Amino acid sequence: MGIISQIVFTAVFLGAIAYFILQAKKLYKFIHIGKPLDRSDNKAQRIKLMRRIAFGQSKMFTNVPVAVLHFILYVSFIIINIWVAEIVIDGIFGTDHVLKVLGGFYDVVMAIGDTLAVLTVITCAIFLIRRNILKVKRFSGREMTKFPRTDANLILIFEIVIMLAFIFMNAGYIQRCESAGQQYAGMYPFSSLIAKAISGMSTEQAHIFEHVNWWVHILGILLFLNYLPKSKHIHIVLAFFNVYYSRLTPKGKLSTMPEITDQVKAMVDPSHTPADMPERLGVREVQDLSWKAILDAYTCTECGRCTSVCPANITGKLLSPRKIMMDIRDTVEVSGENLLKSIDYHENTSLLDRISHEELWACTTCNACVEACPVNIDHVTSIVDMRRHLVMERSEAPAALNTMMSNIENNGAPWAFPPSDRFAWADGLDIPTMADLTAQGKTPEVLFWVGCAGSFDDRYKRVTRSFAQILKAANIQFAVLGLEETCTGDPAKRAGNEFLAQMQAMMNIQTMNNYGVKRVVTACPHCFNTIKNEYPELGGNYEVMHHSEFINELFKTGKIAVKDGAFQGKKITFHDSCYLGRANEVYEAPREVLQQLDADLVEMKRSKQNGLCCGAGGAQMFKEAEKGNKEINIERTEEALSLQPDIIASACPFCMTMMTDGVKKKKFENESIQTQVFDIAELIAQAELITK
Amino acid sequence: MKIIVCVSCVPDTTTKPTFIENNSKLNEQGVQFIVNPYDEYSLARAVALRDANPGSKITVITVGEASTEQNIRKALAAGADEAIRINAKPINAQYVAKQIAHVLKEIGFDIIFTGKESIDYNGGITGNLIATELDIPYTHSVTSLEVSGNEAKMEREIEGGKEVVKSSLPMVLGSQKGIGEPIIPNMMGIAKARTKPLTVKEPIAVEIPTLLVTHELPKPKGAGKFFKAEGNVQDAVNQLIESLSKEAKTI
Amino acid sequence: MSVLVYLDSANGALRKTAYEAVAYATHLGQEVIALAIGNIENTQSLADMGKYGASKVYHINDEKLKTFANAAYASVIAQAAKELNCKTIVFSASSIGGVIAPRAAVKLNAGLLSDINVLPKVENGQLIVGKTVFSGKANATFSLSGEYNVISVRPNTVKPSETGSPVNVETLNISAGETDFRAVAEAILKTSDKISLTEADIIVSGGRGMKGPENFYLIENLAEVLGAAVGASRAAVDAGWRPHSQQVGQTGKTVSPTMYIAVGISGAIQHLAGMGTSKVIVAINKDPEAPIFKVADYGIIGDAFEVVPALTEALKAYKQKIS
Repeated sequence: MGIISQIVFTAVFLGAIAYFILQAKKLYKFIHIGKPLDRSDNKAQRIKLMRRIAFGQSKMFTNVPVAVLHFILYVSFIIINIWVAEIVIDGIFGTDHVLKVLGGFYDVVMAIGDTLAVLTVITCAIFLIRRNILKVKRFSGREMTKFPRTDANLILIFEIVIMLAFIFMNAGYIQRCESAGQQYAGMYPFSSLIAKAISGMSTEQAHIFEHVNWWVHILGILLFLNYLPKSKHIHIVLAFFNVYYSRLTPKGKLSTMPEITDQVKAMVDPSHTPADMPERLGVREVQDLSWKAILDAYTCTECGRCTSVCPANITGKLLSPRKIMMDIRDTVEVSGENLLKSIDYHENTSLLDRISHEELWACTTCNACVEACPVNIDHVTSIVDMRRHLVMERSEAPAALNTMMSNIENNGAPWAFPPSDRFAWADGLDIPTMADLTAQGKTPEVLFWVGCAGSFDDRYKRVTRSFAQILKAANIQFAVLGLEETCTGDPAKRAGNEFLAQMQAMMNIQTMNNYGVKRVVTACPHCFNTIKNEYPELGGNYEVMHHSEFINELFKTGKIAVKDGAFQGKKITFHDSCYLGRANEVYEAPREVLQQLDADLVEMKRSKQNGLCCGAGGAQMFKEAEKGNKEINIERTEEALSLQPDIIASACPFCMTMMTDGVKKKKFENESIQTQVFDIAELIAQAELITK
Repeated sequence: MKIIVCVSCVPDTTTKPTFIENNSKLNEQGVQFIVNPYDEYSLARAVALRDANPGSKITVITVGEASTEQNIRKALAAGADEAIRINAKPINAQYVAKQIAHVLKEIGFDIIFTGKESIDYNGGITGNLIATELDIPYTHSVTSLEVSGNEAKMEREIEGGKEVVKSSLPMVLGSQKGIGEPIIPNMMGIAKARTKPLTVKEPIAVEIPTLLVTHELPKPKGAGKFFKAEGNVQDAVNQLIESLSKEAKTI
Repeated sequence: MSVLVYLDSANGALRKTAYEAVAYATHLGQEVIALAIGNIENTQSLADMGKYGASKVYHINDEKLKTFANAAYASVIAQAAKELNCKTIVFSASSIGGVIAPRAAVKLNAGLLSDINVLPKVENGQLIVGKTVFSGKANATFSLSGEYNVISVRPNTVKPSETGSPVNVETLNISAGETDFRAVAEAILKTSDKISLTEADIIVSGGRGMKGPENFYLIENLAEVLGAAVGASRAAVDAGWRPHSQQVGQTGKTVSPTMYIAVGISGAIQHLAGMGTSKVIVAINKDPEAPIFKVADYGIIGDAFEVVPALTEALKAYKQKIS
């Protein structure tokens, strides 16, 4: 290396680093356009999470072949830093393979690096083929045009060029030494093969060859470094931070808006004077997002795993969770500079200029996207935050949801049923209420929270009665709230009406706290999720169980049993409720309960963490589906029916409705279908009857 | 413009009414009261009218006991500027009309919105009675309203069609669905409603020669005759026609 | 003492509701005096009121009263009641009579009840009348004890029948005050409704089960065969499939036809409220557990898309056979 070369390199290197630092600073500032959000808690847990999901790439390994290929790139990204360090030192000081002093270790590192370089080239080629020739579906979509498409290909080509240059550089180095009769440092299982191909080169020629490729390689890397902040590829850096700052609460828990709690308190207690209402509720502009939501968007590498599992997207609806992230990032990109000057800047800041109401209202809040994201992006929070804006600030909910919300307000249930009928399911069953028991001076072990579907929906009332029957058979001292129960607020909250949701929560918490309720069991995963995860912040702390967990416990403690072979020979498949499964990670309890039936349990391809939503969550139950090419429940029913089960078991009133309707529709097309839909409690109660 | 919106608080539409005191009174226990839906349409149109006419004010007026204030606040949250509650149980339409007319004579009015009926006693006459007490015109079942200067042009629903009605102000109208989409209050509205003025006035003594004597629930129906179409639609249809012609004699 | 009955008219002709009001008034046990206002082209139709129970028919044909104005009509009727010594005044609770009645009541300081749907009684000199309340969820009985009492009768409450013979029509000269014309009708806009819902003898209604506006031709075809009006549930109206003028139920129209056919309507309480007083209810629904079957007299459990066309064809054949 000549001194001029050294000076040039040093200048280029420092310039590239400086420019990268500038860009990184800007990125940091852009991310912090977002509102404050405290994620400084639970450091140990966060480090563990980062180790597993970011370093260990655990979420990638749901698809092993792709995960292995991606892992190759990931490892070479790490290892590359070692030889880049050497290149930089050589470049600045004019040394030659300075790290060879490491001896045997150097051999190992270079051998691994050489191998990885080849594997990287192969992997990138495979990835290019997947994108451009095989056209893997998740890489397409209406948001994947123009820059996003070019960006992806550009990165792969970049990596190929950098790695090829590395291989050629090493080959040149080997040939330079060989032709000069010197021993080269390091081991190069693949580059040495290339060296053989250029063995005709003189020392001088090989040196030039090496030198040119050295420059291509390092300039490629420096260019790549500075391309990163402008590209989706920045995930290689941000992924670690994004995972570290993940939301640690159960996926089903939506945040509690304290400014709304303040208003709700003033409604409940006129002596409470609330603070002035903030002008902005929910999210409309990028500056309304939290910094974490913006970090999510910048971390997104547009892999499309979220969109490929999104029930709305699968059925042809406009929503693509990936697009939401890309829209957030693009909006920050165009307005960021101005927003840094003044947070009151409002041009091109509105996310709703890019994200349509139709997209937002298509979300079932099933959290499949969140589950699928390898870097823990939280799409649902941003979607719900935008809904909150539409509903609470703009009163722009779909008409059907307005009806649902006024029903909750007027008659305490999302459907228009007379409140006086809430306890009618129990007619003739001798079900004790909290009021009765309290009057008798008794305290039940557990409160059975029936829920609106369990109280009013004719189909689900049968589930309610079955579960009550099980509780009685197990001699559990339970009670219900009867007419004092009212909607938990779940559909209102998911529809973005935090105010109504909290009003409902406050009422229910007051009722339950007055009775000193400690334990709650419910057959509705939506009630379960709300009471368990969202009531504590509002003063309602209970041990909450879903009926699947409760029944499972009854079996385990021997309080109930079923006759052997009750369902022998019957094929049962269990459909996971999103609010039980992904939202609260209860996967095994309902399955263990079903195992008691001696039936043939079969799993759908999309089950447990990967279960497909029935289509009713996130207040979808109460509105028409957005435009698409298929109903979600039909997609799910078809999957279940493909197993030809005798029974589809569910554990959620909304799933029950959607699957029953789906089966009905399919029966219409094919009369030979005999499949029935039952709740797990019904199945146990049926089996139970046989034993008595 | 002085815009008045008369609001009635009625049992929620899901209510299954029961009665007490020898069936003379509605059993209000467990009954959720809401703003009469037709009054919500009124309010929606009134808000648009107010916003289109700077300097206008909407006064919501109701006859009801203190428990109605929750619903009055909802009307304020939806955009009304102030409210008056006449502190009395709304005995019947004639009573309510006299109370409201009395207060309106004091405070003045240009356009008075009422619902075409309230969904409790379904009289459909209160607006007309107020108009008559105030000796101003009334138009019933109005589905659209345009006001220019001292004149209003309205469409009202009649059997088999619509009638275009022209009226001078001041006037009373009875709103039908279509005149305005009910306003879903936003949070700002809800927060502001808390501090908007709500005046309570005592009722005047009036005598009404109409008395509600008793209520009764409709007799439950016996089980009907149902035919299954599954398998043979034609059979089911023929059986139905047979029943309708021979037993029910409706065809 | 006599009963004064206002005869609904529109476009120069008496309406069906005029006959019903007269028929209802005959149940009050007093002489029935009928009064028409405005232009009636067929004067014989006025004389024919005698057939339905009127013993006298008056006609006020003031030029100024040609077009309907509720205030003007009300003050004229109130004066007529005084002049003719009628203490009870009967209207139809239609869009005409229904808006005159309260106005006349104030002029006469009368007892008042609107939208009555049961026959009257007189007990201890008090007029006892009843109506459905809470949009059909309950019935209520009222006593009217004014010197004058004004009532309006819901369409379809009584069936007029010919019992007497035509009477002479006398002209009455009463005119309205100037201020009574501050609200006047300018024009009538016809909607596509062929038969008005509230007056129809038979109604065929469709609900959410119709799946979309494009399928309502099935309902219309069935209605046409039956000479029925077309109605809709709130779900169908809220979805924008049908105009609000066709909505049956609470916050829509309360109807009591002789026969109500509900197709693809589950029967939410608000809908039942609006049609529960129908004399015969027929339900066509896939779901045997739909609440509509709890109030239906007859029904077919099946898919509307199969049942309705079959029913329409069978009714066509049946009508041809009996005619």
